[in-house]
Amino acid sequence: MSTEPGEKVLKEKKYAPDWDSWSLKGDWTIIGHKIIEGVRGKRLDELTPQQYVIAQRPHSTVYHHSFGLISKFFRGLVEKKLYGTRCPKCGLVYCPPRAHCWRRECRLEETVWIELPLRGTLVTYSVMAFAATPFLKHLPFILTYVRVDGTNASIPVRLTGIKPEEVNVGLKVNLNFVDEPKGDLMDIYATPAEKPVPPKRTPEELRRLKEDVETVRRWLKRRFPE
Amino acid sequence: MVAEAVKDILNDLPNLDLNDIDAAFYSYFSDHLEQQLCMHWIIHDYIGLCSKPAYRVESGGATPIDAIINAYAYIRAGLFDEVLVCGWEKMSELDTPKVNEFIAMASDTDWDYPVGGYYTGYYAVLETRHMHLYGETEEDLARLAVKNHNSATYNPYSQWQSQHGTSKISIDDVFKSRLIAWPYRVHNCAMISDGASALLLASEEKAKELTDTPVWITGVGLGTDTMRPGDRIDNPAWVGVYPEDEKAWPKTEARPMSPYPEMANFGSFRVAADMAYKMAKVDNPLKQLDLAEIFNPYDGVEICAYEDLRFCKRGEGKTLVREGVTEFGGDLPCQVSGALTAQGHAVGSTSVAQTIDVFWQLREEIGKKWGAPGRQVSGAERGLIQGHGGTGCQAGVIVIER
Repeated sequence: MSTEPGEKVLKEKKYAPDWDSWSLKGDWTIIGHKIIEGVRGKRLDELTPQQYVIAQRPHSTVYHHSFGLISKFFRGLVEKKLYGTRCPKCGLVYCPPRAHCWRRECRLEETVWIELPLRGTLVTYSVMAFAATPFLKHLPFILTYVRVDGTNASIPVRLTGIKPEEVNVGLKVNLNFVDEPKGDLMDIYATPAEKPVPPKRTPEELRRLKEDVETVRRWLKRRFPE
Repeated sequence: MVAEAVKDILNDLPNLDLNDIDAAFYSYFSDHLEQQLCMHWIIHDYIGLCSKPAYRVESGGATPIDAIINAYAYIRAGLFDEVLVCGWEKMSELDTPKVNEFIAMASDTDWDYPVGGYYTGYYAVLETRHMHLYGETEEDLARLAVKNHNSATYNPYSQWQSQHGTSKISIDDVFKSRLIAWPYRVHNCAMISDGASALLLASEEKAKELTDTPVWITGVGLGTDTMRPGDRIDNPAWVGVYPEDEKAWPKTEARPMSPYPEMANFGSFRVAADMAYKMAKVDNPLKQLDLAEIFNPYDGVEICAYEDLRFCKRGEGKTLVREGVTEFGGDLPCQVSGALTAQGHAVGSTSVAQTIDVFWQLREEIGKKWGAPGRQVSGAERGLIQGHGGTGCQAGVIVIER
């Protein structure tokens, strides 16, 4: 995280200083505890009572993470441009970018950077109704993998501007940038570039999916009342 | 937990002397779930083995199968004669979204994690793709959930039974359980578990000294696929490797560069299985295997595994489900233990525990070990255990026989 000899900072968006105090707060300190009566034993028919002590300890930090040779991709996001790489030997186009070609015959040939179109095709999708902690507030959302036109891979992108029951494999999409990109793939979102053709569902499957989405919305309101 | 599991081996083998154990292989997945790196050093000295060689194996969900295969290889290489393999995970220290976050750190945190957020999402998109290409339905997935949960109601080591008792569930119960990431509902997903298990592996000579009824590892295999599932559509490494499966690509669909495994199937399972089958001389798994324990963090994986492990042709996994081929009493019972969605999924322990389930079946000990003689697969002689990590990024298969 310190600057090495010969390095200079070209551009920097400093993080708010309270993140440093956050990462120092309470590390490894026991902030609470409880004593519980539980059970011990291997088989459900052989359990005996046992008391346990449970201590509560927080842990937090800030990572200073370098994107290495594919840093240009992330710099591109901040500048609202989508970059990939192309192998000069075999012509495969990578997005996510690879700094070296993975085709074995190309013997880790170094790739070259190219700018990519903001269009693609939906390879697959899911209607997300639960998530890891940082993403709970985004629910429900549509997770898709999109093959950017002219590339030989697919990238994870959230899809908006469509009803969950209308999303289908093969949908042509446009890729859009958020107003203030931060430098990860969440800076991009997809929207339909054509009228969607929904997948075939039985009336029961359709009813269930619509109900599921409503259930998530209700659950979220209870979990995050603000 | 680990000591309790090791004690079980000591109880079963009165002739076993801990002094004779040459080395121990330890399987646990995450340093984050318990804020402890190198936890195997703690376990190793706790069970009294310090001074002896110890190895930690870590490859995500493939950790436990990988640990078994590593231990096997060291014995085959002649370096050790008796090796202990211990697996565990304690996942109850954090709430469910945080556990999912820490597990998701095994996915590519620069690419997949910031958008997808966790494994249920990744596996859901993979299953959506397989459903789109090969036509299995939400009901097929629910059937598997019913099969596996109801199996667990006979298994006194199962987490499902400890939390929900022994009453059976129906397809309707699965549909009533909460959606997590379409097409997966709570009952289609692996449990979050605390658990431990232990196996003793020995050379042929030592095994015969220790027991009259040994079970032999006759085949092992390992395979890999890409870290990011999105990279699997055009992967030069797979082109032309499995032509029959490439032919099973639907003609109506745009053809990617590498139609098999693509995002729809798990190529790492295939490579691992073919290696193990070759070693064990298995050329018709459906016929030659008597039971299998598949690593099924989500039910769709079981359907794909039927295809990738060659129980059926690509695209026909759903048929095995619909015809009950893999039910208890069918031609090839799968997940008699209840497996990840119902026996439990303490990651580092999972495939060790599933191996023990098959081990007991092959020794006809289910009556004694489970108190459920009706769940003994009668005359079982050969079983398969498959494990994997990530989204099938790494896989292992072992074939064991009595």
